[in-house]
Amino acid sequence: MVIQVQNLEKRYGDVVAVDDLSFEVERGEIFGLLGPNGAGKTTTIRIIMDILQPDAGSATVLGLPPSQAKAHAGYLPEERGLYRNLKVLDTLVYLAEMRGVPRHQARERAEALLARVQLQDWAKRKVRDLSQGMQQRLQFVASLVHDPEVLFLDEPFQGLDPVNTERLKRFVGELHAEGKTIVFSTHQMNMVEALCERILLIDHGRAVLYGPLAEIKHQHAPHAIRVRAAAIPPDLPGVAAVELDDGAFNLALAEGVAPQKVLRALLDRGVEIQAFEVAPVPLEDIFVAAVGGGEA
Amino acid sequence: MDWRKVWVVARHEFLISVRRAGFIIMTLIVPVIGIVALLVGAFFSGPALQAMEAFGQQFDVGDKPIGVVDGSGIFSPILPDYREDFILYASEDEAEAALRAEEISKIMIIDADYIETGRVVVVSLGSGFSAVAAADSETVRAFLVDHLLAGQVDPALQERAANPASVEPRVLSSSGETQGEGAWGFVFTFIVPYFLSIFLVTTVFVSSGYLLQSVAEEKESRVIEIVISSVRPMELMAGKVIGLGALGLVQVLVWILSAAGFSGGAVAFLAVAGAASIPARVLILGAVYYVLGYTLYAILMASVGALGATMRESQQLAGIFSMFAAVPYMLSGFLFANPNVIFARVLSYFPLTAPTMMMLRLPLAEVPWIDIVGSIVLLLLSIPAALWAGSKLFQVGLLIYGKRPTLKEIWLILRSG
Repeated sequence: MVIQVQNLEKRYGDVVAVDDLSFEVERGEIFGLLGPNGAGKTTTIRIIMDILQPDAGSATVLGLPPSQAKAHAGYLPEERGLYRNLKVLDTLVYLAEMRGVPRHQARERAEALLARVQLQDWAKRKVRDLSQGMQQRLQFVASLVHDPEVLFLDEPFQGLDPVNTERLKRFVGELHAEGKTIVFSTHQMNMVEALCERILLIDHGRAVLYGPLAEIKHQHAPHAIRVRAAAIPPDLPGVAAVELDDGAFNLALAEGVAPQKVLRALLDRGVEIQAFEVAPVPLEDIFVAAVGGGEA
Repeated sequence: MDWRKVWVVARHEFLISVRRAGFIIMTLIVPVIGIVALLVGAFFSGPALQAMEAFGQQFDVGDKPIGVVDGSGIFSPILPDYREDFILYASEDEAEAALRAEEISKIMIIDADYIETGRVVVVSLGSGFSAVAAADSETVRAFLVDHLLAGQVDPALQERAANPASVEPRVLSSSGETQGEGAWGFVFTFIVPYFLSIFLVTTVFVSSGYLLQSVAEEKESRVIEIVISSVRPMELMAGKVIGLGALGLVQVLVWILSAAGFSGGAVAFLAVAGAASIPARVLILGAVYYVLGYTLYAILMASVGALGATMRESQQLAGIFSMFAAVPYMLSGFLFANPNVIFARVLSYFPLTAPTMMMLRLPLAEVPWIDIVGSIVLLLLSIPAALWAGSKLFQVGLLIYGKRPTLKEIWLILRSG
C-alpha cells in the first residue's frame, strides 16, 4: 500500500470539505480521484501533500506522515505557475533543492528531464519566453524533478491542446511503466477511462464510489444489449423495451434474462446481426448518476 | 524546521534580489554621491567657498551698505571700521532717494531719544523680512554696540560687548563622557549617526519591500503551491527573511566601506573621523534596533504579501505598515529640538514605530534606559506574536487565489486552531 487515508476530515468554518474519507492506493497503479467541482479532491491532495492540516483522521504516503513524505511525492497543482523571471534550468534546480535534492544531482536530473520533453535548448532561457505549451511541459517535469515514487496530478489535462494532451498521456504511461504510482484528479472521464485502473469518486467530501474501474462499470451496467441490425422483431421474449439510438437498437432486458438468450432468439428468428454487445455504460453516466446530476 | 531548506530558500532569494536593478542603484548611490562630492570638493573648493561666503552675506546685511539717519548724534561720524557697510545721510528724504536708486539696501532711522527708547526704524524695499533680519544681524548689532561704547570703556571690553560669545557645543552625558569636541565634533556625534540611522531605516524598508514583492510574485504566478508542497510555510518565511536580511546588510556594508574607502580626500577624512566618534552605545543599540525592526517588518510584509490577490493589492496593504514607520520621520523636526519629548517616548514603546523612533533618537541625545529596555522588550514580545499571526495568515492567504480575504475572514483564520 503506497497511500493510506483513514477517516480524513477537514472543515473550513461551517463548510465540510472532506468528511470521513478513507481510501488506499496500491503501489504502481494509476488511481483516479474523481468528483464534481468543490467535492474535496484538491483539499484531499493538499492534506496528503502537507499543505493543509486535517481536522481529524490521518494520511500516510509510503507509511510516512505527510511532513516526511514530501521528498517521495511529486505534485502538479491545479493552479500552477512558475517563476516567470527565472531561467528554465534554474527553476527546476531550485524546486528540486527545496525538496532536498543536492545541487549537482538536481542539475543532472533537470537536464535529463528537459531533454525528455524536448526543452533542452531552452534551459538557459527565461520561463516567460516559453510558449504556453512549453510552460505546461515544464510544469509537469517540475513535479518530477526530485524523482518521486508517487505523483499527484491535479487536473493535469486542463488547458492542454490535443497535441500536448496526447504527449502528456504518453508520458504518464511511461511513468506508469517505470513503476511509479500515479494519482490523478480530474473530471475528464474519457481520460479516467483511458488511464485509470482504480477510482475513487467523492462528492461533498464523502466517498461515493470506490474500487477497480472495470468492476464499478460492471456493477453499474444497465441490463441492456445493443444490436446493430436492419430491424428488430417485436415480441422478443425477455425484452422489455426497444429503442433506436444512433443507428443501432438498445434492448432493455427484463429481470433475470441473460443477454445470450436474447442473442439466440434473434438468430433463431433469422435477424441478420451486424454487431452485438452488452450495452456499455459511459463513466460519465455513472458519475452523473452518483453525484445527483445537477451539480456535475 | 528543516534548516537545510531554509538555507536553500535564503540563498535563492539573496541571489535573485542582488541582481535587481533597484538594489544595485540603491547600493551604489552612496559611493556615487561620495565620488561626486569628492570631485566637486577637489576642483571647485576655492570658488565654492567664495560662493558660500557671498551666500552667507545675503542673510546678514546684504551686499549693499545700509543708510543711517542719525537723530541721536551717537553715530556721527561713523567709526572707520564700519564706513564700508554704513553710510550716513543728513535727512530721511536723502536716504530714501538713495534707497530708491538702490545705492543702499535699507535705511536705519535712529530716533533722538534712542538712549531712552532704543527705537530704530528700518526702512527697506520689498519685503519686511529683510528689515527684521537686519535688526538681528551680527554686523548691525556690532555697529550699534561699538558706537555706544566708543571711547567710554576699555577696547577689549568693547570688543567683547559687540561679540559676547563664540559658542562651542559640548554635551555632557550621564556617564560623564564628553561628546562632540568643537563644531566638527558636533557634526560627527549627532548629524552623521542621524543620517546613518536614516539610511539603516531605509534599508529595513527596502529589504522588507523585496520580501513583500517576492511573496506576492510567488502567489500571483501560482508557483506558491508547488513551493509550499516542498517546504513548510515557516521554512519559506524564515528563508526569505534571512536571505533578504543578508541583502540589506550587504547594502549597509557597501555604504560604510565606500565611505571609508575615500581615504585620499576630505570626504574620507570626514567619514572616518565621523565613524570613530559615534559612541559605541549608539552603534550597538542601532544594530539591535536594526535587526529587531527588520525582523518585525519582514514578518509583517511576508504575511501581507500573502494576503493580496495581486502584487499591487499587497503593496497597498503594506502601505498601512509603512505609514506607521514614517511617523517618526515626520516628527524628526521636533526631535532635533528635544529628542526626549513625551510623544517621542510614547512612540518608542509602540513596536511598529519603535525601531524608527529609537534609531532617530539615539544619536541625538542620552535616551533614558527605561525607554531602551522597554522598547526592546516590547519588540521582542511582538516578534513571536507577529510570527504566530503572520504564519497563519501566510499559510491560508497563499492558497486564496483571485480575491483578498475580508477583515472578518482574517479574524476567523486567526481564531481557528
